[in-house]
Amino acid sequence: MAEIGHGGKAIVERIMEPKEAAEKIKGLTQIPIRSQIANEVIGLTYGYFTPIEGFMNRADVDSVCKNMRLSNGVVWSIPLLFDVSDEEISKYNLKVGNSVVLTYGGNPMAILEIEEIFDYDKKAMCQAVFGTDEAKHPGCARVYECKDKFIGGKVTLVQRPKINAPYDPYFIPPLEMRKRFKEKGWARIVAHQTRNVPHTGHEWLMKGAWLQAYAELPIEKPLVGVLVNAIIGEKRKGDYIDEAIILTHDELRKAGYFGDHNHLTSLTFWDMRYAGPKEAIFHAALRTNLGLTHHMYGRDHAGVGTYYGAYDAHHLLATVQDELNITPVYSMNWLYCPHCGEITSEGICDHKKEWQKFSGTVMRSIVLDGVKPPRLIYRPEVFDVMIESGEKYGFGSPFVTDNYLEKRIPVFEIPPLK
Amino acid sequence: MAEEKYPINIWINEERYAKLQKAGLAELPEEMLAGLKVLRVYANDAQKDKILKTFPTAKFDSATTKSIELLPKDVKDKIFDKIVEKQSVDIMADFLKAY
Repeated sequence: MAEIGHGGKAIVERIMEPKEAAEKIKGLTQIPIRSQIANEVIGLTYGYFTPIEGFMNRADVDSVCKNMRLSNGVVWSIPLLFDVSDEEISKYNLKVGNSVVLTYGGNPMAILEIEEIFDYDKKAMCQAVFGTDEAKHPGCARVYECKDKFIGGKVTLVQRPKINAPYDPYFIPPLEMRKRFKEKGWARIVAHQTRNVPHTGHEWLMKGAWLQAYAELPIEKPLVGVLVNAIIGEKRKGDYIDEAIILTHDELRKAGYFGDHNHLTSLTFWDMRYAGPKEAIFHAALRTNLGLTHHMYGRDHAGVGTYYGAYDAHHLLATVQDELNITPVYSMNWLYCPHCGEITSEGICDHKKEWQKFSGTVMRSIVLDGVKPPRLIYRPEVFDVMIESGEKYGFGSPFVTDNYLEKRIPVFEIPPLK
Repeated sequence: MAEEKYPINIWINEERYAKLQKAGLAELPEEMLAGLKVLRVYANDAQKDKILKTFPTAKFDSATTKSIELLPKDVKDKIFDKIVEKQSVDIMADFLKAY
């Protein structure tokens, strides 16, 4: 039976068999792609972005910008662009109707069928998607860095990427993910979007969302799970290294703060746009495709700086809720109350004057100062795995450094096509 | 209206605590977050802007704590040394003179 994804369309993997692939790529022009495009090729071909099958044509980009919908009417909030320069169009002789091979790391990754070559006003795109055209907004910066022409067309993987350790167990594409959920017997699964090593505020966000999602379901056997879905993409200096993010989240399960019966860690390849409300809509589609039934949204979801209001994402989600197959779970902040002597929710505790709020940024400062936080704030097992990850994968630091950016283990590679 | 002030949290590790004890300042830190010791040095608006400009890795946590975070450790060590020298956390103006 088909697995139905966002927009009511069946999830289909667009991946060729090796023999077919070797034959299909013969004689085709090869174009190298950068990591952002490679990440999106994986998203498109494994069905993470269902119903979309390729990079967007002009009609879809225009409709996404102006109506937050694909041209077929399905809700979609962020353009998926394949950019090329005029020089490349000329150099590779790119023409509508042709197909080209996209290479990553020198090896064939996918075939792109060129359906359209077009241009688009980048400033207008930024204003529509990000609510600003300022170049200092990281999403706008990413659009402005694009070359001036775009290619629309379907993509098909010519071989599966090789996911390197320690990431390999956490790459669980939509069809496989849905199988796992069935095996676990989960009736409801709530998504936790992350780019952080978890402190207990995050842990309680997950626990709170799990309780909210459980609601009226019977409790004789485990029926609800939390899926941690880490976004793996471009890193900035000072971020936690990807290995630390993934391994510490899984440590929450291994160390018993959660268990196999209610917790699973996974990753999605995507370069954050920091589009706030629009990224929240994108996350709803992405996690629907992964088979989730609920999605956590906190304050300023996927925002940056002061571009978006704390609850803008919630308000925008409400406008299209009837068309989404995922239920938002809105989360209040969790904090430490010395009076209660515990982590509590700002929606529960009334010792407001005593509240001590903490964030991922504050935790990073504490770690940078060489201090191990108490277990009520940061689980010791999580702390130890973070430090070990830094030593093993981060050249001595759990935070991204120039050295890490230059020499890190690639999350995935494309092997030579046999 | 009182001027807004933004804390820089100097978290007290063992090395810093030993220095505070030696200087007779072991009681100076506050306790936060279930047992962590911290010295809170406050910056006003202009000082906050200067800090964020002078130290590009620093970040103002505008969403949650309204504090200045992610200063390099050597910079925080200098702020800490200034606190020990002046036996006070009211040192921001003095500290920023060097920048």
